[in-house]
Amino acid sequence: MGRVLVMVGSDLRQQVLDRSIFIFGLAVPLALMWVFSLIFAPLAEELEPVTVAVSGPADDPLTGTLVETLGGLDDAVDVTVLEADAADVPALLADGEVGAGVLVPDGFSAALADGDAPQVQVRLPESPGLEGEVVTAVVDGVLRQFTATARTAAAAEELGGQPEEVDAVLAEDAATGPSVGWAQGETADEQLSARESIVAGQAGFFLLFTVGFGVLGLVVEREWGTLARLLSMPIPSWWVLLSKGLSSWLLGVLATGVLLLAGSLLFDDVHLGSPAVIAVLLLAVVAAATSIMFVIAKVARSAEQAGVAQTIVAITLGMSGGAFFRVSSEGALGTMLQLNPVTALGRGLGITAGGGGVVDLAPVLLAMGLMCVAMAALAVRVPGRRDVL
Amino acid sequence: MTTPVLQVDALRRSFGPATVVDGVSLRVDPGETVGLLGPNGAGKTTTISMIAGLLRPDDGSVRIQGVDMAKDPLAAKRHLGLVPQDLAIYPELSARSNLFFFGRLQGMRGTALRRRVAEVLDVVGLTDRATGASKTFSGGMKRRLNIAIGLLHEPRLLILDEPTVGVDPQSRNAILESVEALSGEGMAVLYTTHYMEEAERLCDRIGIMDAGRVIAEGTRDELVEITGGADTVTLVGEGPLDEVEVAVAGIPAVREVRRVAGERRLVMMVQGAPQAISAIVATATGAGMTLRDVETSRPDLESVFLHLTGKALRD
Ligand SMILES: Nc1ncnc2c1ncn2[C@@H]1O[C@H](COP(=O)(O)OP(=O)(O)OP(=O)(O)O)[C@@H](O)[C@H]1O
Ligand SMILES: [Mg+2]
Repeated sequence: MGRVLVMVGSDLRQQVLDRSIFIFGLAVPLALMWVFSLIFAPLAEELEPVTVAVSGPADDPLTGTLVETLGGLDDAVDVTVLEADAADVPALLADGEVGAGVLVPDGFSAALADGDAPQVQVRLPESPGLEGEVVTAVVDGVLRQFTATARTAAAAEELGGQPEEVDAVLAEDAATGPSVGWAQGETADEQLSARESIVAGQAGFFLLFTVGFGVLGLVVEREWGTLARLLSMPIPSWWVLLSKGLSSWLLGVLATGVLLLAGSLLFDDVHLGSPAVIAVLLLAVVAAATSIMFVIAKVARSAEQAGVAQTIVAITLGMSGGAFFRVSSEGALGTMLQLNPVTALGRGLGITAGGGGVVDLAPVLLAMGLMCVAMAALAVRVPGRRDVL
Repeated sequence: MTTPVLQVDALRRSFGPATVVDGVSLRVDPGETVGLLGPNGAGKTTTISMIAGLLRPDDGSVRIQGVDMAKDPLAAKRHLGLVPQDLAIYPELSARSNLFFFGRLQGMRGTALRRRVAEVLDVVGLTDRATGASKTFSGGMKRRLNIAIGLLHEPRLLILDEPTVGVDPQSRNAILESVEALSGEGMAVLYTTHYMEEAERLCDRIGIMDAGRVIAEGTRDELVEITGGADTVTLVGEGPLDEVEVAVAGIPAVREVRRVAGERRLVMMVQGAPQAISAIVATATGAGMTLRDVETSRPDLESVFLHLTGKALRD
């Protein structure tokens, strides 16, 4: 078995001499973390408080509901509602007194009840902030809900319902309020901030490249002829596989560990939790990512093919694992996604960031174990190019 | 009778519908150099891959020093040094690091390994380039390092798969000399090539391989006998070559005529070329051929191959 370590040592040494691992495993992902956090992190995190001028008919129930909905957006953006005259709104906007103006026409509730689509106008300043867009989106959502309810009611009326019933339905809507809100796109099991998600996502995405440096070396060595030479040596051929797997795994754990550490040092608001627990998470996630590479190494006919396949796999798993934008899927697909190492890293770091320990990580570790087994079985099953390896 | 170092019986291997190696048998004794001579795609590398335990044969057996490769691959591989057709070296590593790495995998270590690395570097003439990354080597130097790795553990059987491809004449000569020296020391060598000159110079016995079969086997002189001692005459030039072919075939001394596919070249087996050559040239020009070149050669492996397969060894 000492000879397995000889192979791993030689592999790591060549990766260091070659230097691409430093570029693609560390420099590029760090740069992207930084760029992405500049672009995306403010969107979800740093919305300024905003004042919205609302002009509308007094004592109109649905107008009241709209105002309440806007005022109740506290978790996302702090909205202050200022009642104003429609004529004053342009001046308020021009002076910068308000970040948005909402003009509700007279007879708003009544028009809705008749099945019409009354026009509510949202006025924004010349260069609206993100806050203005949030207000627009919320107003739009509220209106859609009102009209949908009203249309349904109007249709029911035509089919023989009583006008009083329609009014009752709308009144109920006004009383309970529409279920429109603006929440940060967080799924329930993630406790990562936007910036932490970027760090975790990029670390997970690039992990799928780093683990290629060992295992996909099998394909390169097949082309070089060194694989033939290794297999002609008096060592069991699975030692060669094991050594490549170990190289990938070590490189993956090291590179991802460094990325997470660098992310935490680079951004003061990134806190991922206990390093020891994160280490356990990394061992499992990297093993699963490595196992995928064995399947690619088995089916690829050339190093180029392997590189393309690896990129496709990385982008697919990166996107579905939320490395670029948040995803939430339910049902069977959501369960499948738990096997995705990028998903698992994000989910696991969510747990560690929330103070979870190894026991809390159990479902994630189990999913990664399953992934390893599934990929190993697949690598053995799929027809390869050569018989011995 | 000594046990052969390598005994190969009726090896067979297909890829999909194509049978690439079709019943190859070989024997190499200690101190003997056996050549496998054949054109591209003859199945030489596939045969060697099965001998070295890299590829499972569909049928047949391989024994190295009496050990069956299928039954005890690790024991069989211990006696084997392989020099693959591809340059099986790590480009980022120096010659010395490559040698140390493969030496350790062979189970060598310590002073014995250090001494042996120095020795083989000397054999292949790379001592003063031992420390630079091997990716900076010339093609010939890479080939020499490739061979050095195969020699490192002093195997009983050294298999060289076209070790001189893409090498300048000087490096090539150095390689051939070291192979001669090794077999002089008692190493058994299996050498594949499609260069007839190399097979003639190095090999005690030669197997001629084509389309997965060894179609003839013996010493150089035994093989040349097969042609009945006919010389080879090659005419190069333009003209109605089909008609020229028919015309020269009518000359009594001319035994066989072949067109080399895609080339303006007629190759023929001729009994007593020096006497017949003027008649051949006259007939060819008479039939409308404009001659650019005429070559005659004594019977050699090329003519044997032509005689047996109707194809040129290299085209
Ligand atoms: N893994 C494989 N899958 C399919 N076909 C193969 C495979 N390996 C070799 N072949 C085919 O088998 C035939 C013999 O190949 P082989 O490499 O043994 O020839 P060779 O005599 O070594 O030729 P060369 O002089 O070019 O090295 C070729 O037609 C080749 O395409
Ligand atoms: Mg070959």
